Amino acid sequence: MLSRAVLGRLSSLVLFVALVLAWEMFARGSRLSALVLPAPSVIWDTLWSGLRSGYFWPHLVHTGTQLVLGLALGCITGFVGGIVMAESAFLRRLLFPYVLVSQVVPKLALAPLFIVWFGFGMTSTVVITALICFFPLMENTLTGLQQVEPRKLELFRMLGATRGQTLLRLKIPSGLPVIMAGFRVAVVLALVGAVVGEFIGGSKGLGALIIASQSMMDTPLMFAVLLLITALGLVMYQLATGLERLLLRQHLKETTKD
Amino acid sequence: MLIEPPPFLDMRRVSYSFPAYPNVVDQVDWQIGRGEVHSLVGRSGCGKTTLLKLAAGLLLPDAGSITVDGDALRRPGSQLGFVFQSPTLLEWKTVMDNVLLPATLQRRPSPADRVRADELLALMGLSGLGGRFPTELSGGQQSRVAIARALLLAPSLLLLDEPFAALDAITREELQDDFLRICRLAQTTVFFVTHDISEAVYLADRVAVMADGKITEDLTVDLPWPRRHALRYGAPFNALCAQVRQAMDGVLAC
Repeated sequence: MLSRAVLGRLSSLVLFVALVLAWEMFARGSRLSALVLPAPSVIWDTLWSGLRSGYFWPHLVHTGTQLVLGLALGCITGFVGGIVMAESAFLRRLLFPYVLVSQVVPKLALAPLFIVWFGFGMTSTVVITALICFFPLMENTLTGLQQVEPRKLELFRMLGATRGQTLLRLKIPSGLPVIMAGFRVAVVLALVGAVVGEFIGGSKGLGALIIASQSMMDTPLMFAVLLLITALGLVMYQLATGLERLLLRQHLKETTKD
Repeated sequence: MLIEPPPFLDMRRVSYSFPAYPNVVDQVDWQIGRGEVHSLVGRSGCGKTTLLKLAAGLLLPDAGSITVDGDALRRPGSQLGFVFQSPTLLEWKTVMDNVLLPATLQRRPSPADRVRADELLALMGLSGLGGRFPTELSGGQQSRVAIARALLLAPSLLLLDEPFAALDAITREELQDDFLRICRLAQTTVFFVTHDISEAVYLADRVAVMADGKITEDLTVDLPWPRRHALRYGAPFNALCAQVRQAMDGVLAC
């Protein structure tokens, strides 16, 4: 007997194959131009030849680099910002309205401004990506640090812990699950930031490649790049959940007794 | 004539109010001699926990004075051990690290600290579980870890807030015996909050009954030490329990 989990995964795979086959037949059978909807086999050829010839790699590396840099910058500032605001009620009241405004402004609408400031290229995209990643990390760090059980705080007071000790040894470890949930959201958003940043201000990278394929009316290329972006996103997400599992391995110990 | 030694914990006319709840603790006088075990009983919400937090220095009284071993109490310190209602362990630390926490917050733990932690775990019946994580232990074992942690720095005053409330009756009785043995061994002064009358009588030299922020009754428990299991079924024990019960019934619920 197959377990429910295996059965579920298998069904999911079968559905995928069925959808691709249906798409292939539709694309071949209908009179739709390949410009509108290329067949999966055509997309696969484009993807494969691009990968083999090395055409995609510099773009993939470029987008990956911007993604990682933007993610790191955004997460570090978000984490530090969250700590600062959790620790100081005054700074929280002082800064939160500005943080909120910076997040309500559609960040992608700021891209042209960043291009004026930082020029076309990597810096603008990294800044946009960082700005997008900043908020989930900051918000979740703030929430995580504020959600510490009051009794544990009393315990640390009872034991004469300093403020720094309480932060490093109680608040951050106990808020880590919430902080890591914010990190997972940030990883997904970072990909959006990097790709869309390249739409607007890039000459290199997967986002720029999509714009180029549009102007060349090369729809199979566009789909191939979309596949690459999806793969990049999945890899990043898997890395993030792996990191989360590593950091939270002690939080996740199963209860073995009642 | 014998001269009474000064009390170890001395609370005089202590009052405390929360903004929304005036006189949660109202002019309480209570003294505990060195090495004595006192318990504090009362219904929920009558100010027991607040009084205990005042004795710990976690709260400062609005009026009155509290001294521990002759010194005015201004903040919690390492001479005090506190056990909360729930075990309050750090889930991401091993049992050993949890027990060592009071030491590691002050300094790098020495081999002697580890030996002491091991001894305490053994006394608490937790030998060999130092490497486990709290979530891998049962509720009773977690309570034992919390008590071992409170005893690590050999506090001269131990304050406990219903530490056994969530346990089943048999585990609770076992823990009471282990706890008494360790405290008597180290001559620790103990102030024990509970809402369980038989627990209050079994553990203590004296029982304070609290209602509406005041201590309404002060009963001396004249039972032999060490306390044995059979004591619970004897007439003197039950007479004392009835007396405490009467004292609790004698006042209006708060």
